[in-house]
Amino acid sequence: MAQTHSLQDLRQQASIAAKVFVQRDYTTGTICQFQTKFPSELETRIDKQQFEETIRTLNNLYAEAEKLGGRSYLEGCLACVTAYTIFLCMETHYEKVLKKIAKYIQEQNDKIYAPRGLLLTDPIERGLRVVEITIFEDQSNGRIEGR
Amino acid sequence: MPSVDKSGGVGGPSSPPTSSPSRPLRPSRYIPVSAATAFLVGATTLFFCFTCPWLSEQFSMAIPVYNGVVFLFVLANFCMATFMDPGIFPRAEEDEDKEDDFRAPLYKTVEIRGIQVRMKWCATCRFYRPPRCSHCSVCDNCVEDFDHHCPWVNNCIGRRNYRYFFLFLLSLTAHIMAVFGFGLLFILYHKQKLDHVHSAVTMAVMCVAGLFFIPVAGLTGFHIVLVARGRTTNEQVTGKFRGGVNPFTNGCWRNVTHVLCSSQAPRYVGRWRKPQTVVVQPPFLRPQLSDTQMGGKVLDNGIQADRHSSRSKSSLDMMESQSADAEPPPPPKPELRYPGLNRGQMSLGPTEESSLLSEAPPTPTMYKYRPSYSSPGKNHTALTHSNKMIRGDSLKEPPSILQSSQQPSYRSEPSLDGREGQRERGDRERGGGGSGGMSSVPSSGISGYSLGGRSYPSFTDPMVLSGGASRSSSLRSTHTAHNALGTLHSEGTTSTSYKSLANQTPRNGSLSYDSLLTPSESPEFESAAPELSPPHPHPPSAPPQVLGYSSPFLSAQIAHQRESELHQASAALLTSPQKSYVRASSPPPVEREREHLLPDSHQMPQQHSRPPRFSRPPLLSDSQPFSYRARSLGSPDAPQTPVSPSAVPAGSSHPPLGKSLSYTSAATELQYRSRPPEGSAVCPEGPHPRGKKASGGGAGSGGGIQAPK
Repeated sequence: MAQTHSLQDLRQQASIAAKVFVQRDYTTGTICQFQTKFPSELETRIDKQQFEETIRTLNNLYAEAEKLGGRSYLEGCLACVTAYTIFLCMETHYEKVLKKIAKYIQEQNDKIYAPRGLLLTDPIERGLRVVEITIFEDQSNGRIEGR
Repeated sequence: MPSVDKSGGVGGPSSPPTSSPSRPLRPSRYIPVSAATAFLVGATTLFFCFTCPWLSEQFSMAIPVYNGVVFLFVLANFCMATFMDPGIFPRAEEDEDKEDDFRAPLYKTVEIRGIQVRMKWCATCRFYRPPRCSHCSVCDNCVEDFDHHCPWVNNCIGRRNYRYFFLFLLSLTAHIMAVFGFGLLFILYHKQKLDHVHSAVTMAVMCVAGLFFIPVAGLTGFHIVLVARGRTTNEQVTGKFRGGVNPFTNGCWRNVTHVLCSSQAPRYVGRWRKPQTVVVQPPFLRPQLSDTQMGGKVLDNGIQADRHSSRSKSSLDMMESQSADAEPPPPPKPELRYPGLNRGQMSLGPTEESSLLSEAPPTPTMYKYRPSYSSPGKNHTALTHSNKMIRGDSLKEPPSILQSSQQPSYRSEPSLDGREGQRERGDRERGGGGSGGMSSVPSSGISGYSLGGRSYPSFTDPMVLSGGASRSSSLRSTHTAHNALGTLHSEGTTSTSYKSLANQTPRNGSLSYDSLLTPSESPEFESAAPELSPPHPHPPSAPPQVLGYSSPFLSAQIAHQRESELHQASAALLTSPQKSYVRASSPPPVEREREHLLPDSHQMPQQHSRPPRFSRPPLLSDSQPFSYRARSLGSPDAPQTPVSPSAVPAGSSHPPLGKSLSYTSAATELQYRSRPPEGSAVCPEGPHPRGKKASGGGAGSGGGIQAPK
C-alpha cells in the first residue's frame, strides 16, 4: 500500500506516535480475555465506553471460540475418526471464530478507530497476548517515530 | 497428516522468522524419534505379517481389523504430536517491549483466581511469559501451556498438541497390550512349533512389546493423573502446586473435557497476515472530554496496579531513607547515566515484594511463597548497592527462604549474555542517539511514545509514579538504554530484577525430559535453579563478578547444597567435557555463545575493579557451572545433554535428581533432595519410556510419582 505512494502522499500519511498494549486478563484463568481497563494514553482520543465495548465484544468472541460445547466435541470426534485428515478440508471452530474476530476488528477500525487516529491490531498476530493499539500523530508534520 | 506445521523443531536452516532463528541441523536430535518410529512401525508390521494371518484364520477377522484400527490411531496421533506446532509464541516485536525494557522487573505478578502467579520476562522472545508458558531450550521458543519437550517425537508438547500426545500414549498402551496379548495367544497355540519363523518373530515382537509396555504404561498413567488434576508435566515436575492450590484446574471432569474436547487451538506463527487496508489520516475525531474521564482511572482487572503503586510509593520513601542510612552510596556513574534509575530500582523492589508480601490471597500458594522477597531493607540493599555488599550479605546470612528469595528477579538469565547483549546493542544502535544519552531527555516524541507505551499496569505504574518524567524519558529511550546498557556492562544497573539484564541472555531453559540436569525455565520457578551453583566455586576470588549471578535467589548455603547435589547428579555426565557441569575456570570456546562471551569476559575483569552485579562477562568466567547450565538450557547444544542422560543406565537416578533439583525452588528443592527416588521416578517417565529403552524403573516410578503428592 505504501509502496506506490508519492512523496507527497507519504507526507500526508499520519505517523505513528505511540503504541498502547492492552494486556490479557488472567483473573479467571487462562482463557483468552483482555483487560477492559481504559489506557490513559487513549483518554484524549476515544471514548472510554467505546473502547470498553470493543474489548468486551472481543472477549465474548474469544470465549465463544474456546467454549467447550457439543460442537467442539463433535469436531474432535470427527477428527479422531478420520485420523485427523478432516483438518485438511474443514476449518476448526476456533478458526472460524478467529475469522469473525478479524472481521470485527476490521470493521471497528474502519468505523471507529481510524477516524480517531487509532488502529487496532488483531491480537492473534501477537499470539493472543496483547491487543496493540497504534496511536497516530495528529499532525503530519510532527513526524516522530515511536518505534 | 493434515495441516500441521512445526517450527523451530525440525532443525533446519529455514525456520519461520518469528519463532526462532535458523539453527544448524543436529542429527542427534532425530535419533530418539527415528528409533521410536522404527520400533513402532517395524514391530507392528512384523506382527501383522507373521502373527495376524493365523489369528484371523483361527479366531476371527476382527483381530487384525481391531489391531489395524488401533495402530492407525497410534500413527495418526504420533504424527500429530510430532509435526504439530505445540503453540509457539511468535517473538514480540520491538515496539512491544520498549516500555518494559530497561527498568522493568524480571517478573510480573498476576492474580489468577486469587492466587498470585508470576510471569517471567523471556529474554529471547521479549515478552512476559503468559501463565503456564515456558521457553523450550531445545526448540528455542516459548510454548503455550508448555508440558515438556519430548525427544521421542522431537517436539515440544504444548497447548495445541497435548491432546494428540495424550491420545498417542493411550492408544500406544492399548496397541502394545493387544500385540502382546495376541502374540501370547499365538505362542500358546504353537508351543510345539516354537522353532518356526512365525513363532520366533512373534516372540521377538512380544519381547519388544513387553519391554516397552512398562515405561509406556507408566507414562500413560502419569499423564492420566496430570490431565485429571489439570496440571502440566512442567508444573508437576517442578512441584509448583505442592502444598498449594492449582489455579488452573476446573475440576476433574472439566479438565478432561478441556484436554479432549476443546476446539483445536490456533497457530500463532506462520499465519497469513491480511494486509492492512485501513488508511489513517488526520484530521482525527476527538472525544468530548468530561470531568469523569479526566479524573477517574478504572481499576485494572487482574494485575494489581493500584495496590502496587500505592504501596510502592510509600515503601519507596521508606527505602530511600533506609538506604541512605544503612549503606554507602552507590557508585556515581550509574546514577549519572540513569538519573531515574535508582528511583526506578527502588520502586521495583518494593513493588515486587510488596505485592507479594502484602498480598494475602485467601489460600496459601506456591507462588506467593516462593518469591517471597526479603524485608524491604534487605531488598533495597540488594537493589541499590554494590556487588560486594550484597555478596557479603548473602554469605553472612543463614540461608533462608526470604534471604534466598531476595533476588528472585536476579535470577534469571545467566550471563549467557554476551550474545544477546551484543545482538541487542546492535539492534538498538540504530535508534540510539549516542550511548550516553540516557540521562538526556529525549525528544518529545519519544517521551510521548513512552507514555503511550506504558500500558502495562502494575509494574509500570509505580515506576511512573516514583520516577516521574526522568524515568520515563530514560526508560523510553530504549535505544539509548540498550546502548548505554551495553556499554555500561560493568556498571550496569544496581537493580537485580531488571529485564534488561535478562535481555542480555540468549535463552532460558525449558523443561525437557532429557535436559534433566539443566535447570529449565518454568515461569515461576527459575529462581531455584541455576543461580545457585555459580557463586560458590569461586567464592573469594571475584566476589563482585560472581555476585552478578549469585544473588538471585538463594543464599550461599543453598547454593552450596545445590552445587553438591548437582555434582552428584552429574557425576555420570561429567565425563564429557562439554557438559554443563564442568567447573572449568575458563570456558572452552565451544559454543558460539561462549565465543561471544569470551572476549567480554576477558576484558571485563581488567576494566573494572568492581564490576556491577550484572555484568555478564565476569559472571561467565566465574560461574562456569551456572553459565554452562544456563546455556545448555537455551543453547542449541542442549540436545547433547539429553543424549547423555539417556545413555546413562536407566537405573541411575542422577539425571532425574539433577533435573528435579533444577526445577524447584529452594524450599521444594530441599524436599526433593530428601526424596531422590521421586525425582528419579519422575524423570524416567519422560524420555526413557518413549525412547523404548527398557527402563525397568519406569513403571515403579510411575507409581512413585503419585506418592509424593
